[in-house]
Amino acid sequence: MANLTKVQRRRKTLGVLGDLYAILIYTVLYIPVVVMMIFSFNDQRYNYYWSGFTTQWYGKLFGNHALMDSLWYSIVIAVLATVISVVVGTLGALGLKRYEFRMKKFINGMIFIPIIVPEIVLAVALLIIFMNVGFALGMGSILIGHCTFCIPYAVVTIKGRISGDGNTLEEASMDLGANRIQTFCRVTLPSIMPGVMSAAFLSFTLSIDDVVMSNMLSGAKNTTLPVLILSMNKSGVTPDVNALTTIMILVIVACMLLSNAVKAALRKRSQAA
Amino acid sequence: MKRILSGVLASAMLLALCACGGGKTPAETAPGTDAPETPAEASTELNIYMWQQYISDELIADFESQNNCTVNLSYMSDNADAITKLTAGGGQEYDLIMTCDAYMESLIAGGYVEELDMSQVPNASNINSAYWSSPKHSIPYLGNYIYVVYNKETCPIEITCYNDLLDPSLKGQISTIDGARNLFPIALIALGYDPNSTVESEIAEAYEWLVKFNENVVAYGAAEQNLTNGTASVALTYDGNASWAMAEMGEENPLVVAPFTDDAVQLGFDMYVMPTGAKHTDLAYKFLDYICTPEVMAKNLEEFPYFCPNDAAVAAAPESYRNDPAKDFDYKENVFFQEDVGDALTIYNDYYQKLKVGQ
Repeated sequence: MANLTKVQRRRKTLGVLGDLYAILIYTVLYIPVVVMMIFSFNDQRYNYYWSGFTTQWYGKLFGNHALMDSLWYSIVIAVLATVISVVVGTLGALGLKRYEFRMKKFINGMIFIPIIVPEIVLAVALLIIFMNVGFALGMGSILIGHCTFCIPYAVVTIKGRISGDGNTLEEASMDLGANRIQTFCRVTLPSIMPGVMSAAFLSFTLSIDDVVMSNMLSGAKNTTLPVLILSMNKSGVTPDVNALTTIMILVIVACMLLSNAVKAALRKRSQAA
Repeated sequence: MKRILSGVLASAMLLALCACGGGKTPAETAPGTDAPETPAEASTELNIYMWQQYISDELIADFESQNNCTVNLSYMSDNADAITKLTAGGGQEYDLIMTCDAYMESLIAGGYVEELDMSQVPNASNINSAYWSSPKHSIPYLGNYIYVVYNKETCPIEITCYNDLLDPSLKGQISTIDGARNLFPIALIALGYDPNSTVESEIAEAYEWLVKFNENVVAYGAAEQNLTNGTASVALTYDGNASWAMAEMGEENPLVVAPFTDDAVQLGFDMYVMPTGAKHTDLAYKFLDYICTPEVMAKNLEEFPYFCPNDAAVAAAPESYRNDPAKDFDYKENVFFQEDVGDALTIYNDYYQKLKVGQ
């Protein structure tokens, strides 16, 4: 009896410690975000210090064409980069995992090169290439730049998801009369779907966050949101940027809740069936 | 069969990359390379690469309506980044690029900028030639003093020279600008050397000075923020930023420009240059002439109270600009300029990195 309470007590202490640990980590992670959100209500032209509460920045935000245009530009690039990276990444991951060929090890290792090389080096190299072949800077050049680092991440992520014995299922599928395309769509793809989805999220995040590559490869007419925000650094970032970021965070949280709700609903349905 | 497929799949992503890289080239090149150096008819767009928050929106809008064109402003986050982009060949995307004195010599030597036809910029005659370091290749826009400002209520000492910044009582009190070529000259002057020194031993000594200075620094950048919210009591900053901070403090402004006695302060200019291969030169010249017009620049100074090399514009500027407390100091002539230090730049950068990494 005494022993049991001792164990219980120890468990309780560990539980409290675990909670403290979690609180500490989450505090470090989210305090900057909370501060950023609070300052979106700051009644001042630049976010020097707190001077009063206002919601005017949320209204003014939509009148700030530079900010809205660059946000739209960033989103279009991120979506395209995600689609390209996921398609190329899935094909590449399957090829590199499932099939045997000469130099496989070497090519597998080479995937990490664009991840390891400092981004600015890749960016300047790409810029020199584009300028020499006469490729005009703009959305195309930024997109290619983003793909150079999104694709390797997508390949690595998806490759980790492909199980070693997946061949059995595919062979069974083809034994039962499915052709390669049917097998890919009905068997292979669903089995690696979680990997494909995380590769998509990762690519989207990397692309929409990117500063270095976009800064070097953007043309004269448009630029991405992170580059615009960085260039504001000289004079001070205005609260409408905070307002925009707050809205972006709320949208992401809403999407997450929605996706969880959809998943839960689907699970319920499949359990009922 | 498997082997063939494997090859196809594995090379798919490599090929996709190549295809992306090469695919659009012919279509995209055509309009770019075919555009003649001097367009027969007036251009309808002007691409400018410059600092953000550095020119009046109203002024740009007026220029657009007067010339029936679109001005595309894109913004740099750092001078060095802009130079990298320009020297890698990205300059041809723009018609005008903003740069500073320190890079001019290299840019001209490398053939990255066009020589300007000054007959197309008649208003440039308003610019004081004392401030015009590369009169053939650039039009100076606005300038910045880099000087010391402090809060006379919270700063424990009176600062009259750079060496005062090392005073132990200022620990964690200084907000300073950043950049190798902004910080090292100050240390070099404090030590009695040429601010544009190319001697390694002197730069090394300056590094030692900056290490001590670093102990007193609370923040790099955002001086006006740190001064107004009380994080710092002293700032090494640009006069324009000091002016904003002083205006922000209102009636009871406790910020003063440090009364320097002997040490020279840095005066730097942001200037417009025309990158080699610029496509809309006609509009670029019109724009340069436009910003040199006294009335236009005077209006711009109201919004951006930096130091202006255009004497006629200063004369036409409003009272608020001419009586700005941030320009109330008596050593305006005791200045030095950032010069191109050539290969010594790598020495500066090495020591600067050492300073930043902390060993």
